[in-house]
Amino acid sequence: MLRAPMFRALVLAQLPSRAGILFTTSRMQSNAPAKAPEKIEVFIDDQPVMVAPGTTVLQAAAQVGVEIPRFCYHERLAVAGNCRMCLVEVEKSPKPVAACAMPVMKGWRIKTNSDMTRKAREGVMEFLLSNHPLDCPICDQGGECDLQDQAMAFGSDRSRFTDINHAGKRAVEDKDIGPLVKTIMTRCIHCTRCIRFASEVAGVDDLGTTGRGNEMQVGMYVEKLFLTELSGNVIDLCPVGALTNKPYSFVARPWEIRKVDSIDVLDALGSNIVVSTRTGEVLRILPRENEDINEEWLSDKSRFACDGLKRQRLITPMLRKPDGEFEAVEWESALITAAQAIRNAPKDKIAAVAGSLVDAEQLVAVKDLLNRLGSELLCTEQKFPTADGTSGTDLRSNYLLNSSIASCEDADLVLLVGTNPRYEAPLLNTRLRKGYVHKEQDIAYIGPEVDLSYRYEYLGNRSLTIEDIAKGKHPFAQRLKQAKRPLIIVGANALARNDGKAYIAALQSFARQLKPEDKNWKVWNVLQTNASQVAALDVGYKPGVEEVLAAQPKVLFLLGADGNAVNKENIPKDCFVIYQGHHGDQGAQLAHAILPGAAYTEKQGTYVNTEGRAQQTLVAVSPPGMAREDWKIIRALSEVVGTVLPYDTLDELRNRMEDIAPHLVRYGHLEENNFYAQAEQLIKTQASSFQGDVDVNQKSLEDFFMTDSITRASPTMAKCVAAVKKAQATG
Amino acid sequence: MMASLIRRLPKASTSFKWIHSTSAVYADDPLKHKEAPIVENDVILSDQEVKEREKLSHLISLPKEKTLAPISGVPEEHVKTRRVRIYVPPKNAMQSGTHNIQRWRMEFDNRERWENPLMGWASSGDPLSNMNVDFNSKDEAIEHCEKNGWKWFIASEDKPKKERVKNYGVNFSWDKRTRVSTK
Repeated sequence: MLRAPMFRALVLAQLPSRAGILFTTSRMQSNAPAKAPEKIEVFIDDQPVMVAPGTTVLQAAAQVGVEIPRFCYHERLAVAGNCRMCLVEVEKSPKPVAACAMPVMKGWRIKTNSDMTRKAREGVMEFLLSNHPLDCPICDQGGECDLQDQAMAFGSDRSRFTDINHAGKRAVEDKDIGPLVKTIMTRCIHCTRCIRFASEVAGVDDLGTTGRGNEMQVGMYVEKLFLTELSGNVIDLCPVGALTNKPYSFVARPWEIRKVDSIDVLDALGSNIVVSTRTGEVLRILPRENEDINEEWLSDKSRFACDGLKRQRLITPMLRKPDGEFEAVEWESALITAAQAIRNAPKDKIAAVAGSLVDAEQLVAVKDLLNRLGSELLCTEQKFPTADGTSGTDLRSNYLLNSSIASCEDADLVLLVGTNPRYEAPLLNTRLRKGYVHKEQDIAYIGPEVDLSYRYEYLGNRSLTIEDIAKGKHPFAQRLKQAKRPLIIVGANALARNDGKAYIAALQSFARQLKPEDKNWKVWNVLQTNASQVAALDVGYKPGVEEVLAAQPKVLFLLGADGNAVNKENIPKDCFVIYQGHHGDQGAQLAHAILPGAAYTEKQGTYVNTEGRAQQTLVAVSPPGMAREDWKIIRALSEVVGTVLPYDTLDELRNRMEDIAPHLVRYGHLEENNFYAQAEQLIKTQASSFQGDVDVNQKSLEDFFMTDSITRASPTMAKCVAAVKKAQATG
Repeated sequence: MMASLIRRLPKASTSFKWIHSTSAVYADDPLKHKEAPIVENDVILSDQEVKEREKLSHLISLPKEKTLAPISGVPEEHVKTRRVRIYVPPKNAMQSGTHNIQRWRMEFDNRERWENPLMGWASSGDPLSNMNVDFNSKDEAIEHCEKNGWKWFIASEDKPKKERVKNYGVNFSWDKRTRVSTK
């Protein structure tokens, strides 16, 4: 134990900003601002560069734009140092050093292109290739394979492999790890990226290595599925074709596809994605790096649900015939019929309900149309606590994840209430896990017992606990008060309950009482569960359908409202229902007129994520059949109704959006929230009490895959649910 | 100096026919010169020509927005209705290389494509669908779009890359959660 104090001293010197949360004993000492460590000079190929002490050779080289080849090293994973591809020569060092693991020393002269370095790389390459199958022509990774590229760039120009009878090449049995990831284990080069991802980021310690040397294998030791909501990321991480995308296997080559940057809308985070398309078909979805939101990861739902975009689509306008069947019609007659119903209805009996995948353009267009017709009945499917006279959604800070997604990892104490971030927002959960692993974050949770992929302090599922915490009676309340950067994250589904007011009233005023170290630190956070809720509340939709249904509307617009908030039982019998959306799901079955719209890969639309950041999707493919971009449908309808909306182009519509809420068009920018005190005042006026225990909707992995009209239409998602159920049944 | 002196002559009598050699303008003895004198042509220019030349010697001012759109031959439809996205290409999530992404690129909005019944290849009616131009900086891309009269928007931010601490040792630290359990 002699090393303990030494070790601590080293860590404290290296990570001055984190020292406070690493060790409780050092909290007192860390108040003085730490001095930035002096930079040291090293030379990369004779180019001088100043780097912080502790920087690895590989990072230092990256700073001057020299990229050292690597297989096992990954920026977001722990250093493994086992592939040896990053060997470089350091002057006066007898052996080449592994650049990914070796910290630089003052004055080092690193040679990334010397004879020794090149020979080392050639040697490593030769060993890798001697056991790697030469099946690039039938390998799905072909064309975007690190091994292929680096063999071309750094490998030897001739082979010493003379075994033309194929007697000696190593072969490994393939494993079945689920319906999403295909394994061809012979191609594995043992970089262990997948193992590190599973244990560090996904928090599922299933993958590992068995055997040594030539007998080494990556796998799970027992036959088992890789059951995590982030499994698709190991496909990206795999530098060779050992782990490939099963639904995408043998579908396309990377040079045939077009890539369009876009935004994911299947959860409320708005992960950045790249949509790969060919001939008007979305083939696959990959994550796009965004340090503020999804880092470099993507949840399985967002990645693999893209085949749902081809099925169950509404491709032509439809009208319900008197016998109850739908009839495909032209746009003209659909619009005229819808317009007639609107014109015949009393002006305060026209209503709209927005579902979970609606873009801000459509929301604004519909609201403008209805307001011009004289109706104020616009609402979202998901409820949020409001009070009579005042509204809980008047101030944005009430319903946003105020302390941005990225800073969730910096919190030192997190309280999760009525939310299962692992399935509601998998990439927020990776942030929390990152804080848990790397920044000694502590997490407590109120709700039914679930697996969050990290250890948490379980406070039970009684709503009484929340009251106790809010009143300061619970011991955990004291810990929150002492915490430097506390977070309270409440699930939108908890707030959508009938007693949601009680949650918000209790926890928000408690959050206001906390005194975080940094005055700008935001304690109160709501984790939304769908992509359109924030934008809808921002432009003035009312949360919850009660008010709309109570008004007994004669015409009801369903904007992709498939969440069963509006159903056969609760709509008035004589109500003319216009469904506008892209999938023939729950909402379309109620409709009298169906106006086919575009899905998120088919339109340039604005979505605001749970932290209040507006982002836009781009057109990857054109809408199928006669489907059109949603705001254009509303614009056309307004013309037929006789109340023409004053915008003809997307730019004009966005100008209108800017007039309503400027943040809607500041793409990628996070707007600061304020008025916390006033927001709390609004809520305080609401008397309320808890009813029943705290619950979450998605408890286990099988609940994760199918949550909206796109995922319900996806065969891959159906396979996932079946696989998870089967795995759970067999133990 | 000399030339301007001489130029006054024709002004005095405009009808005077101006026929003589340029050497005659020198009053001093030509033999004293070792080389032939350099004479500016101005002396034989007419008033009109002098005015024209003076005009040319100044800077010319063009309309503030210089646009190539009217003369570039691009159909008006593809100038006025197109939006250009200016962005930094994202790193391919499947690979670790970054060489192809250190630039700014412009790209037009995506239009309909369909499968060609003959070969199954993708067809498009959009002449600009493959026009991706790379630039060193955002400003160059913007200038190019302005010149061509396209509407543009910036879709990437240039943020400095986050520095992260990579440390092999944390895999083995006994009192932290970074300790690696599986190998």
